[in-house]
Amino acid sequence: MTHIKRVVLLMIIMNIVLLSGCSSFFVENNTVEEIAPVIFWSIQEGESGKLKISTLVPPLINEKKSMLTLQVNLLKQGRKDFNLVYYRELKSGQLRMLFISEELAKKGILPLIDTLLTDPDISQRLYLVVIKGNFEDYIRNQVDKQENLDYFLYRMLKHYETKNQGDITVINLHQFLKRLYSPFSDPILPVFKVNKENFIYHGTAFFKDDKLVATISDMNDQILQLLNNDYYLKLLPIPSLAVSLGQIRSKVIIKLASDYSSISIKVNLVGRIEEYRGDKNIVDSDELEDLNQEIKSYLEKQTTALLRNMQQWKVDPLQVGTHSLTPFSQPIKDEEWLRKWGDMELQINYQLDLQTMTNVNK
Amino acid sequence: MFWKKRKSGSDRKQNDPNKEVENTTLTLDTLKNIVVNMDDAEIIERQINPDHKVTLLYIRTLINQERLNDEIIEPLIHHSPAPIHECINVCKASKVNDLDEAQRQLMEGAILLSDRSEDQWLAIKLENPLSRSIESSETETILFGPKDSFSEQIEQNVTLIRRRLPLTTLKTEKFTVGSLTRTPIVLMYIEGLTNPELITIAKSKILTIDYDLFLDSSQVAAFMEDHVHSIFPQFQQTDRPDSCVYALGAGKLTILVGNTPFALIAPITFFDLFISPDDYIHRWLIGSFLRGVRFVSFFLSLTMIPLYVAINTHHYQMFPLQVLFVLLESRSKLPFTPFWEAFLMLIIIEIIIEASLRMPTKTGQTLGVIGGIVIGQASVEAGFASKVLIVTVGISTIASFLVPNYLMVKANRLLLFAFMLLSSILGIFGMALGFIIVLVHLNGLTSLKQPYFAPIAPLHMSDWNDLFIRVPLQWIKRRPVSLYPLQKWRSSRRR
Repeated sequence: MTHIKRVVLLMIIMNIVLLSGCSSFFVENNTVEEIAPVIFWSIQEGESGKLKISTLVPPLINEKKSMLTLQVNLLKQGRKDFNLVYYRELKSGQLRMLFISEELAKKGILPLIDTLLTDPDISQRLYLVVIKGNFEDYIRNQVDKQENLDYFLYRMLKHYETKNQGDITVINLHQFLKRLYSPFSDPILPVFKVNKENFIYHGTAFFKDDKLVATISDMNDQILQLLNNDYYLKLLPIPSLAVSLGQIRSKVIIKLASDYSSISIKVNLVGRIEEYRGDKNIVDSDELEDLNQEIKSYLEKQTTALLRNMQQWKVDPLQVGTHSLTPFSQPIKDEEWLRKWGDMELQINYQLDLQTMTNVNK
Repeated sequence: MFWKKRKSGSDRKQNDPNKEVENTTLTLDTLKNIVVNMDDAEIIERQINPDHKVTLLYIRTLINQERLNDEIIEPLIHHSPAPIHECINVCKASKVNDLDEAQRQLMEGAILLSDRSEDQWLAIKLENPLSRSIESSETETILFGPKDSFSEQIEQNVTLIRRRLPLTTLKTEKFTVGSLTRTPIVLMYIEGLTNPELITIAKSKILTIDYDLFLDSSQVAAFMEDHVHSIFPQFQQTDRPDSCVYALGAGKLTILVGNTPFALIAPITFFDLFISPDDYIHRWLIGSFLRGVRFVSFFLSLTMIPLYVAINTHHYQMFPLQVLFVLLESRSKLPFTPFWEAFLMLIIIEIIIEASLRMPTKTGQTLGVIGGIVIGQASVEAGFASKVLIVTVGISTIASFLVPNYLMVKANRLLLFAFMLLSSILGIFGMALGFIIVLVHLNGLTSLKQPYFAPIAPLHMSDWNDLFIRVPLQWIKRRPVSLYPLQKWRSSRRR
């Protein structure tokens, strides 16, 4: 009798679990050889307010690839219509990259992002990238030359994301949304410049809510990596001073004045001078000190200019506003913070601790 | 009309060989009647002197004929007036009074000797010592440590244990099971150490055994098990005397069965099946590592193929792109679904394993080569299986053999099929469900009425020092608490 009771109990538990929707009795056919799990979507502005959505098929298999492009009103419409033009069902469960054109990003991407967020198939580890130029042309041109192009783009982003390699900005859907919906924080995204032949990292795009407002590149982008994103740069070449710094790690201390009139940003940099082609004899301590001073003032000037721009654009990607929060006082309102942030006086101070290469001698 | 008519009780009684010559008095004629049509039965009658006639009755194939000549025939020829039992040179002669006893002794290798002058029958044990020598174990091989293993001779097996445990408290209680085979069983335990409740349970279980043939200890175990339908072995079978001694020392029972080299150890837990004598021979860190590898490989052998089936059938979105890339590439042109692909490969593997057990050793190599080519290369080239599955099946199969207990290996293989079916229907959720069912089952199992999943459930933390890792021997101060031994401490100072 006890055995029968146990079996009945087990059956009841199983039925409860199965009926609750955990089971896959009635879910889609996901047999891997019958589906095409696409790994990127590229979204551009289409004609008459439509979206132009593209992807590469077959994904992840070494077969001849082709580009599918559709003009649709809705993102999900694109997802559905892709299946009608391709013999394998396109699944979005392995969607890893979303390339958004700069023009579209400037108009706002919230509807797109929300659609992706609420789709249970799509992981929040979806890399978001802003594209300057025509991404379709690049793919069409490269697809014959380079097998698994889409997969290698994913591997590139994943490589730089893991352990913050300190070269480029990599942001996924979760990070973007966290910055978007957090107070005192504005999202950023990496920007890549494409033409028919090249896919080049350009810099970082600043967003005001869901709209792209500005893009920074080159030295400004590198300083952003040090101040906020990675706190690490493998290499920082400063051509105007004929010096390359390497293995730089930064510690940023931000202090706000109690009346929000000024902000002091102290950056402690530890690294080494890896290349020097200037006139100074950096083995000599006095001349090395001079060089250090030059680097310091250069970085301070650049950082001040960058922050001035941020103030002008009314964006706060460094999340400086979070420093206004204190345990026992009411937080300042977002709009009020941005107004104060725009008028804030900047005090930037770099402390350098740079090692020299011993074989640099004149 | 579709059923055969049940035979009446009297018919069945006639078929019972034991009841055939019931209530018959012990005389030479009745004995002759018994051995009729037995070619190897010999009756020797000898007139020693005019008023003294001796009759010998024995089964030629069961006795030692050299000893018969030296110890019985010779002294009888040079017979002195002394009584027969005083002149023969054997130490063990017993009087036989009834026919049943005479039959039993005759078939156990005794010589029945009738002394007409005193009108009595004597049974003299002269068994044929036909046995193989002590060899090393083939089923549980170890690199270092004692090499001897049990043989089919139960007395010899008892000797191997007694030599390692020279204790008067090591008790050996003998039983006989099997109405046809009359297989001897020896229940061994250390008095004053083993929990008496276990001894009582084991004895009562042995006494209730009622069957005709017992050719191996596993059949005895089948009658003593608490849960007949479980796929998990509830008795540990071993042919290593050192394993038996370790078990006895821990407070367990050992059951030796005649005519088989495999002894039974009980009560056991699920985790005992993962313990090898190697663990106590190596340094503790290495021993622990090896034990860990065994647990991991058991888990891997159980999950790798179901996971392959689950990913390929249901969960393409849950896995890293790198893994999916490899899977898609290898499965892109296969005709079978992942389940049937894995099922076919596993069946082929099982066929090869079974064949390698049955085939002579010299053809084993051929089998290995053919198996390797069929499994490894041909099936991939023919497009029946993917490369990933071949690797998975290979690792899973090898991993399943890391468990020292062969019965557990087979249980593992069967579980694998069940898990595979579940994963093909319900994906990883099905595997999780399978694990829950197995865990529930393991928690309900008992071995000699003792919990099978101890020391995890019920929890005995002090036994964990010899569970997943084996701590230094000096730290294993207590005998397993889950066995409730009468002497808790291994150290003599704390006893």
